[in-house]
Amino acid sequence: MAGRVEIVMEKIRIYGRTEYPGKVEAEALVSEKPLQGFTNVDPVQGFTTERLHPLFRVPYTGKVLVFPSQRGSGGFLKYGRGNKPAAFIHTESSSLNVLCALEAHVPAMTDFERDPMEVIETGDMVFVNADEGYIEITKK
Amino acid sequence: MTEVKLKDDEKRMLAGEEGHAKQLCMEYLVEAAQIAGAESLIDLDGTGDMHSPGLKLSSYYELTIDDLKELVDKGEHFKIPTFADKSPFPEQPPIDGWEGCPICSYRNEELRHDDPVFHKKALHEEEYELLRKLGMFTSHSCANYLTMTYWPTIGQHCSWFESSQIPYCNAVLGARTNFDGSFATCFLGKAPYWGMHITENRYGTVLIKTDRLIHTDLEWDVYGYAAGEAAGCRVPVLTGTAKPTTSQFQKLNSAIHTGGGVDMYHIPGSTPEAPTLEAAFGGKAPAEEIMVGEAELRKAYDYLNYHKTDRVDMVYLGCPHYNLVDIEKICWKMEGRKVKIPTWIMTNPWLYDICRKMGFLKILTDAGIKLMSGACLAAMGAVPGGVECIAVDTAKQANYVTGCYPDIDSKLQVCYGTTEECLDAAVTGIWRGEWK
Repeated sequence: MAGRVEIVMEKIRIYGRTEYPGKVEAEALVSEKPLQGFTNVDPVQGFTTERLHPLFRVPYTGKVLVFPSQRGSGGFLKYGRGNKPAAFIHTESSSLNVLCALEAHVPAMTDFERDPMEVIETGDMVFVNADEGYIEITKK
Repeated sequence: MTEVKLKDDEKRMLAGEEGHAKQLCMEYLVEAAQIAGAESLIDLDGTGDMHSPGLKLSSYYELTIDDLKELVDKGEHFKIPTFADKSPFPEQPPIDGWEGCPICSYRNEELRHDDPVFHKKALHEEEYELLRKLGMFTSHSCANYLTMTYWPTIGQHCSWFESSQIPYCNAVLGARTNFDGSFATCFLGKAPYWGMHITENRYGTVLIKTDRLIHTDLEWDVYGYAAGEAAGCRVPVLTGTAKPTTSQFQKLNSAIHTGGGVDMYHIPGSTPEAPTLEAAFGGKAPAEEIMVGEAELRKAYDYLNYHKTDRVDMVYLGCPHYNLVDIEKICWKMEGRKVKIPTWIMTNPWLYDICRKMGFLKILTDAGIKLMSGACLAAMGAVPGGVECIAVDTAKQANYVTGCYPDIDSKLQVCYGTTEECLDAAVTGIWRGEWK
């Protein structure tokens, strides 16, 4: 019989490119579908308002918002206003992320060595160290 | 963080040697370049498009009206020909047709677009007087390419805004822009050098095939949405379609940057950087081949239609802003007829004046149709009170207009189909659209 149970908190570290610097640890909210702004985000209530979207009305405020890519209007920058996420993590990058990061001034990273969408699930804890260019995931 | 290497003139501006406004703009551009991963700024030689007045570059960089006055006094001008995107921010009032436009701005009952006092204030004339002196063309359109009379030429570096205009500039005109048009880029004539400015990034990476010949306006619109979803932010090469008309390019561009985030695409034989399929891919093999055929089109059409009732309360056309040919076709169909429900058509202010001279405005007004300019229904943040089901003819508007109603209890329904089906609904109040 084993006399001791050792619980090792496994962390997965992935390196990427920093868009906006800073360090923060928070729970992940993962969007399977690309996110869209303009009328389809409510920065006051802090959730997407796109109909039929998997994250419709799911609060992102204070979370590490993880998504594959972004689509649509330049109004995507509204994700960076008001009750915004703690950090932005995304697989593909485009001008929309630049507009958003200019507004948000919170840690933001992209262009990872391994796709974060394959690793992170909603509820995982994610340490975003955009100062040193990596994220560290603790599975829930 | 990316280190941005600045040229001497850029360093001088950043140090404040050329005044406060240029310093602020340069600080903003350096930050944008760092975020984008751009190692330098490029001197623009094309045209600019920006949401205006645009003094607030971001929440952290804001110019004042006194800054503008100082620039005017110094005799400064925008470095590149610069056009105003849609109506003035943040209210985005219709420039023409605001009278009888019973919309509360973002559902705030004290801010009504048909209130002359609110309308006058929402036009921000003090700022525009100065912006025009600086050289801005106050064209107020999400489809500025319809009226600018001065297009960027192939290979020129631009700085535009508006999701539907970005692929128009890159794919249709063969000029080069990221999604970054702002006072800073247009006034300084500089932008972060990355993305669509670089030849290598403009080649196709994903091949999109179809098993249905895409040739009607609605097919192009539905196809654009589905192709955008499939491509994400990549550069798709679209094959198996007919050659799009100008109206169809408008629909494709707005839909492909709504379903996805496509800044650039190729249609071999139609778009300037794709004389052949091989050229579109820059001689490389596509990373992926995707079918956007009958099944995918049907799925997109069903997604964009979001209604249980067939009783339509309002019709909204002109997303993106209608061109003259679209409006003329509607006049031919509607002359002598009467609509039963509110029917609005949006174009841009300069074309509105031509519609008046051509007699289109009278024909439409006599038919009970409201011609408007400059604005966008979704951008006004509401629909007229009592409207529960609206008919539209573009994926872009269909996708955004419901977002104004995040309350689960007050869902707006959307009927989406052809312009003809929308006009039929306008006359009968009933939706009879179907995917054929």
